[in-house]
Amino acid sequence: MAEEAQPRAHVVYDVVASGDAEGAGSKLMVTRGTGRRVREALGEVLEGLPGDGVLYVDTRGVELMDYSFADEALGILASRVAAGEYGDRRVVLVEEDRELLENIEASLRQRSLAMVRVDEPGAVPEIVGEVPEHLVETLDAIYDAGSITNADLAARLGLNHTACNNRATRLFKLGLIHRRKNTAAPGGRQYSYEGIA
Amino acid sequence: MVGCLPLDSAYNNSAMSTQLELNIRRKGAMSGVLTIGSLDPAFAMAQEVEGGMAVLDLSAVEFVEPAGLCGLAALLEFLIPRSRLVGLRFSGHNVTAYLERMNFFKIFGHRVETNADVAALEERQRGNPGTLQELINFHSEEEIPGIINRISEILTNKDYWLRERAAICATLSEICANAVEHGHSPFGAYAAVQAYQHIVSGPRRGEREGEEVLVAIADGGVGVRETLSRNPEYAEHTGSDNGALRHALKMGVSGTGEVGRGGGLAVVGQIATRAGGSLSLRSGSGRVTYYGDRTNSRNVPDFPGAFVRVSLPRKAVSDPPPAVGKNKKAEV
Repeated sequence: MAEEAQPRAHVVYDVVASGDAEGAGSKLMVTRGTGRRVREALGEVLEGLPGDGVLYVDTRGVELMDYSFADEALGILASRVAAGEYGDRRVVLVEEDRELLENIEASLRQRSLAMVRVDEPGAVPEIVGEVPEHLVETLDAIYDAGSITNADLAARLGLNHTACNNRATRLFKLGLIHRRKNTAAPGGRQYSYEGIA
Repeated sequence: MVGCLPLDSAYNNSAMSTQLELNIRRKGAMSGVLTIGSLDPAFAMAQEVEGGMAVLDLSAVEFVEPAGLCGLAALLEFLIPRSRLVGLRFSGHNVTAYLERMNFFKIFGHRVETNADVAALEERQRGNPGTLQELINFHSEEEIPGIINRISEILTNKDYWLRERAAICATLSEICANAVEHGHSPFGAYAAVQAYQHIVSGPRRGEREGEEVLVAIADGGVGVRETLSRNPEYAEHTGSDNGALRHALKMGVSGTGEVGRGGGLAVVGQIATRAGGSLSLRSGSGRVTYYGDRTNSRNVPDFPGAFVRVSLPRKAVSDPPPAVGKNKKAEV
């Protein structure tokens, strides 16, 4: 059975409007130095969120982004989220399907990472970057359900509970889903999983 | 044109000066064009200049492309500290007028001896419709966003589509960043960008006017082979300059070996070949040109540093932009 998804604190951060790049309001995101400044600003906002909050990084106003910027601002941010540096806080990219995504995609693939992307906050989530093949089905099932217990997810995927838990834990550690512990579950500890966008 | 005396006397006295040769083609489409390859003999001879006078005779040059301009700048930066005097000889005023418009004499006018009347050139009306970036000297990554903002504005005013602007700007920013990051170059780096009108080849060959944007950058750093040699994992690729250049084109190859690094040049290669153009690299005795489906390489006289040339053909302005490619992704 799918559960009700939990409302979580979130902030939308407009990369162009923030003026962190060279020159206020610049729409051209180039160089690692500029990417570093933007990533540091994003990191501060992320740290200011509640423990399981979500930061929507809105790059729709950006006209061009080179690979160096994409890797420094978003690739490294995604790798730090995946390394647990921001606890259970998560990052979602707000960007349309356009060529600018290619550099973000290339950076995340180099790092064997992925980010959840939406055309706009509230829109259907998609993935940019690299999700290991065997986890794609699990990720799809969690996002289809909105929120789902490990037992239900295991049943849906035809996996035993441990295998299912291992897969979902991997997605959780990649920063692509939320995970919640249900202590009241029969038989003790059980996790529920939710999409982050 | 009246030549100035020190240059003429040096030119006629081989005991006092080294006359640097150029390889300028006399026939075909590249006749009279100063390319990076034209400077090969001069680079080879420049190694032997030790404190004397060096004279470069550019009188056979009728046309200078950005690669030739950046290569010339790198050659002069190599020569000037090694020579008592560097002389440049021109014939006719088309080339000198172009060089003046490209800010060449602003940078080098006071550092070389020349028979061109630089003061008169400076008084002329400026303006060069195809110039997207005059010869520019830069030293740090912090200068790059300003350079990119400026060229982006020029491209916007010239009605380039966003995707073309993004391709040109991303190409320039990545190779500029490479030049100052890996360069540790005494003179920083030089860049120039120029658009040329020409006939676009294709199914209706000869019927469509098109354009080609050439981006060139030269630095005087340690070169690609030495940079990649810092990473012991690449030992098998760094036995030769050409081996190192070929390896540098691959995604994720960098001197530091850090994950996420070494993507810029690979992305520039993709941008260039998707546009139907090419990416040429030159460093040490290596020269590699990447066309997407093939990579050519050959040995050339030593280039002290690294040089990059990117060709970005632009289809006829009346053509609609090609469809935007979808990214591979898993829907969730």
